[in-house]
Amino acid sequence: MKYQENEIKQGIKLHLIKTEKFKTNLMAIFLTTELNRQNVTKNALISSLLRRGSKNMPEQEEISKQMEEMYGAGFDCGLDKIGDNQVLKFYIESVNDNYLPNQEENILKQSIEKLLEIAFNPYTQNGGFKEEYLEQEKSNIKQRIEGKIDNKARYAQDRCVEEMYKNKPFGLYKFGYIEDLDKINAQELYEYYKNLIQNCKIDIFISGNIEEKTKKIIEENENIIKLQSRIPKYNIPKLEEKDMLKAENIVTESKEVSQGKLVVGLDILINDEKLKYDTLIYNSILGGSANSKMFQNVREKAHLAYVASSSYLRHKNNIFINCGIEIANYEKALELIKKQIEDMKNGNFTDEDIENSKKGIIATIKAIDDEQDTEIMYCFGQELAKAKVSLEEYIKQIERIEKQDIINIAKNIKINTIYFLKD
Amino acid sequence: MQIIENLKVKEKLYIEKLENGLTVMIIPKPGSEKKYMIWGTNYGSNDNKFIVPGEEEITEVPNGVAHFLEHKLFEQENGSNSLDVLTALGVNANAYTTNDHTAYLFECTDNFYEAMDELMDYVQHPYFTNENVEKEKGIIGQEIRMYDDYPDWRVYLNVMQAMYHENPIKIDITGTIETIEKIDKEILYKCYKTFYNPSNMAIVIAGDFKPEDMLEEVKKRLVDKKTSGEIKRIYPKEEEKIVQKEIEQTLEVSQPLFIIGIKDIRKECALESKNEIVKKHISIEILLNLLLGKSSELYKKLYQEGIIYGSPSLDYEFGKNYAHVIIAGQSKEPKTLYKEFKQKVKELKEKGINEQDFNRMKKMIYGGYVKEYNEVQDIARMFLADYFKGINSFDYLEEIEGINVEYLNQVLNDVFKEDKMVISIVKN
Repeated sequence: MKYQENEIKQGIKLHLIKTEKFKTNLMAIFLTTELNRQNVTKNALISSLLRRGSKNMPEQEEISKQMEEMYGAGFDCGLDKIGDNQVLKFYIESVNDNYLPNQEENILKQSIEKLLEIAFNPYTQNGGFKEEYLEQEKSNIKQRIEGKIDNKARYAQDRCVEEMYKNKPFGLYKFGYIEDLDKINAQELYEYYKNLIQNCKIDIFISGNIEEKTKKIIEENENIIKLQSRIPKYNIPKLEEKDMLKAENIVTESKEVSQGKLVVGLDILINDEKLKYDTLIYNSILGGSANSKMFQNVREKAHLAYVASSSYLRHKNNIFINCGIEIANYEKALELIKKQIEDMKNGNFTDEDIENSKKGIIATIKAIDDEQDTEIMYCFGQELAKAKVSLEEYIKQIERIEKQDIINIAKNIKINTIYFLKD
Repeated sequence: MQIIENLKVKEKLYIEKLENGLTVMIIPKPGSEKKYMIWGTNYGSNDNKFIVPGEEEITEVPNGVAHFLEHKLFEQENGSNSLDVLTALGVNANAYTTNDHTAYLFECTDNFYEAMDELMDYVQHPYFTNENVEKEKGIIGQEIRMYDDYPDWRVYLNVMQAMYHENPIKIDITGTIETIEKIDKEILYKCYKTFYNPSNMAIVIAGDFKPEDMLEEVKKRLVDKKTSGEIKRIYPKEEEKIVQKEIEQTLEVSQPLFIIGIKDIRKECALESKNEIVKKHISIEILLNLLLGKSSELYKKLYQEGIIYGSPSLDYEFGKNYAHVIIAGQSKEPKTLYKEFKQKVKELKEKGINEQDFNRMKKMIYGGYVKEYNEVQDIARMFLADYFKGINSFDYLEEIEGINVEYLNQVLNDVFKEDKMVISIVKN
């Protein structure tokens, strides 16, 4: 890959990833803003309103038809929570002209223009968003918030995060809160939106068959010209202090489930960004792979679960252990999980475990530029953290890790919350 | 090796059927770091009743054996587990079972040949003991429980119950806690011997490789096994008509989940050539998008009325003795949606298909197929799944051109019949 970064204006960056590996060009626009209780619902609403219509494509039907004409360009909007930020995401994936029956279409140019138009030039009426759209999207967001309970495993994970970050930005639900919806009106929301796009951090990514003129297409786009320079307001993900003395918070909740969902949220106290690499290996040995302690001991030896794993949330420095178990086996499973955490502290793992974990992680790093979206998210993560690490450097950082480094991480790990969803 | 080139996506498929009956397919992907290998057998949860080659008696096994085998094949005689061995190599290994095939796979950047050693070793050397079979029942039991909590899986299984009288497509791939209890090592060995014969299997490899060399690598890892005779699979006779029009289940969900199913078992279907099936499949995709896709009138109406808030997924699924359309989504009023959908079908039949809409959908579907060729894992899995249906995946790119409005109208009338439609709902 050839990666090129251009600051179009202060606070607005264009990231070009030139690659010939794919049949498609993928473009993403990320609007990054501080995550807070006051605005979380508004941002969610905006994300869902913008796809309803733009100035030149006032109806969703029109947008869809245009996308279909462009050989099924895939257009999507999403929301993400990265560190203490809320990210409004806009994507368009379209076929590279080389694979079209008529190669003169210049679908990439059309895609760029369409996506910029949707994100920055919405359809308005009487100085606000269209009332009708707003009302429909309010019920849409309401449904998404209520839909939290539909996937019980996901729900348990979300609830554990909420418990760990009570009254803190990261504990907010990314789609916001039902009680906020009524208070939002079309004019105020539009004012808020205008303010948002003039102050948030804007990153535009394009991966694929990039030409000389691609950059120019963006720079000369009228929607980009309208945007001002800004000192973007967002939270750079940083290591935060964890309360290592606080007692474990034990939460049990009842829902209609046939299997219990156990989530254990861990805090990691580290004071150096570099230790995130060590934590990655720690997580891999604890529950990140089929060779991990969780998989081997909870699933394969004790047969307590089918899912027995852990995942590392690097922007917040937490590890979440996930297990689906018979409800009656709660105590047994929890005890076994705690034993795995203890064993890590006591260095009860082998050099082979470390080597194997390294191999697995390095393979993932090497594969980053084989997946368009993964590559974009990798670059974006670094952009947010203001830390550029090349894939080679990343691999080196993984290779340097030794057993003592992992034990050091293990000793700085503490259970924050034990969340159990049962019937 | 036979080379099939597709000029549209500029990819080549190298294919060879070996003497022992194994089919090997290689798709070179120059410049890709990722390499992918998948070994599948034409054996899934639907294959519960069959005649072992050389025998005369019918063998019938409990539901869930194919999936159970998938779990157990990793176990090795020396006490190791191949999943661990593969993971230790830094490769991402997995396996899955569907209604009609089971597959073992890994994805990697390094250690490809070591991983290939392990994959080809374990798939060819089963090792089942009473103890390791018993142990697995606990794990699979939790897998079954996990699916019990997925409302989208429940609503899917239920729509099959409403459409099919006898066809095993209606049973759960994993089996149930009760059926897996009956599985023992003798059953596993018997099914393994029957269905894991090279003549019933195919390997697909995608990555930056020289196909001829790769074929040799495959050959040298094969144990000596002769082609078995034909496996007679016994599927119950399935009627054209549905079982029941509606099926409902209660589960804790925020809004009802629904699936509309349209059963497509007709006498004529059995006579269709593979190309006709591909053409029909593409046509159904086009029709579904015309009826309820993102740009359709109906979608717009339902969205504005708050009846749906996202576009339903639209699919056509088919295999041995089963075929159906699936429209799945979440809706405040699934029955209103269903009524409106049926009305739209009627209108479309009366008014006929608009040429302009049709051309736009054709472009969209074409683009969708091209996108499938981005990543090695998607390519390999697609070629394997299609192969077991007797289809070469490239055919989708080629057949699309030959579809016209007349053909589409015919498929609309043949497939979208009201008396073949059912609705499954899961709600509070």
